[in-house]
Amino acid sequence: MKKKVIGLIDGQSGNIGSINKAIKDIIKGKPYRLKIIKGHFNYSSFDKIILPGQGAYATLMSNLKKLKIIKPLKEYLASNSSYLGICVGMQILSDWGYEDKITRGLGVISGDIKKFRNKKLIIPHMGWNTINLNNDDTIITNSFDKKDFYFVHSYIFQNIKKSDVLAFTLYGQKFPSIVKKGNIYGVQFHPEKSHKHGLNLIKNYILKS
Amino acid sequence: MKIKFLSIVWLSSMLKTRIIPCLDVIKNKVVKGVNFKNIRVMGNAVEMAKYYSLSGADELCMLDINASYQNRKTFIKTVEAIAKVINIPLTVGGGVSDLSDITDLLNAGADKVSINSAAVKNPKLIRQASLRHGSQCIVVAIDGKRHKNKMRVVIKGGREITKRELISWAKQVQSMGAGEILMTSMDTDGVQNGFDSNMLKKVTSNVSIPVIASGGVGSLEHFYLGHLTKSTGLLAASVFHSGKYKIKTVKKYLSTKGVPVRK
Repeated sequence: MKKKVIGLIDGQSGNIGSINKAIKDIIKGKPYRLKIIKGHFNYSSFDKIILPGQGAYATLMSNLKKLKIIKPLKEYLASNSSYLGICVGMQILSDWGYEDKITRGLGVISGDIKKFRNKKLIIPHMGWNTINLNNDDTIITNSFDKKDFYFVHSYIFQNIKKSDVLAFTLYGQKFPSIVKKGNIYGVQFHPEKSHKHGLNLIKNYILKS
Repeated sequence: MKIKFLSIVWLSSMLKTRIIPCLDVIKNKVVKGVNFKNIRVMGNAVEMAKYYSLSGADELCMLDINASYQNRKTFIKTVEAIAKVINIPLTVGGGVSDLSDITDLLNAGADKVSINSAAVKNPKLIRQASLRHGSQCIVVAIDGKRHKNKMRVVIKGGREITKRELISWAKQVQSMGAGEILMTSMDTDGVQNGFDSNMLKKVTSNVSIPVIASGGVGSLEHFYLGHLTKSTGLLAASVFHSGKYKIKTVKKYLSTKGVPVRK
């Protein structure tokens, strides 16, 4: 049986150690293979791609550009292949990011990444907060509804279509904590830091398709 | 009108108060000692980290309290080993003096690095570190102490009182890009009479980044009083290491007081 290939993009935006280890543990003894993507890749040779990210939107976009990852990634996403973006890896799915300077994103899910509106909030939004599912999903099933995940971010997805929001979280306002369009998923929180529910989410993403 | 607005903000957040056990580490052992005297080994750092992660800690903090050249290598290996067995955020500090120390710890698997004395001596380090790695992983640890009716920043475990005034330093570290403040009161640390509510409230009301309260927890009520200072993380060591309280016990108690906690 042909092994499914999982790509983990190292966009030099934070340490990929935790997510790397989580994936390895999940696929151990199963017909999957993990490949770290560090530069140009052939988009048709991957079954799933995970892009974790920390730090700033503009930094990740410029790193991906330098590494020649943008073009194949855009082609991959345009073919509606399976993708999971984590934190900034989710944010760059948008049209524009407003952190530091205005930066064009991948433009897969329409909307912009802007700062939390409420000036009285403690920023970054750091810690464990609850996700509320808008509807049941084959990968992010009802069992994740009202569970806590670890967040650390100051910017959120805004001007997004309701139908692209799979889950929302409350922090001074409602904001999208999971976005979804076709087979493309993005989570604002860090599942690799979110203990058992986080690991289950990664597990579901890899094993269910 | 203002009160009404604030209460709406309050209600519409389900952010949980973080309970953070702190491991004071030498090489690979968790220790307990007062000012480096009578140091007692409390256990193996990796095993204790694993235990806390499984038993509901929201984050883990570990400090190299004897960051000598010889001990550092073993400490870094311990960070690597811990990062492999836990899947909650890990903050590492102690003996961080420059950008390469920060990079080493992040590469070893730390999610956040805490800087203390080095930031006091060279505040630019905060900006350089946050520009390179992002604010979210730069924690500035501040040790505060009252001296001649003023709250001052102290270094070297409270033995050296600096000229810096606590609140202006807290504001400065925020403006230089710190993502979080780990605030320890040297007036209450190790005494188990409770957090320094007065000092913590002054800090939280003057910054808009998250503040972790540290120093002085001895009872369950102390955790609640810590929460009332608007600190979003509550750090404790002895009460957990000694087995006096389990993390679950603390969370259950806070929950009955209406404090949101992760179950």
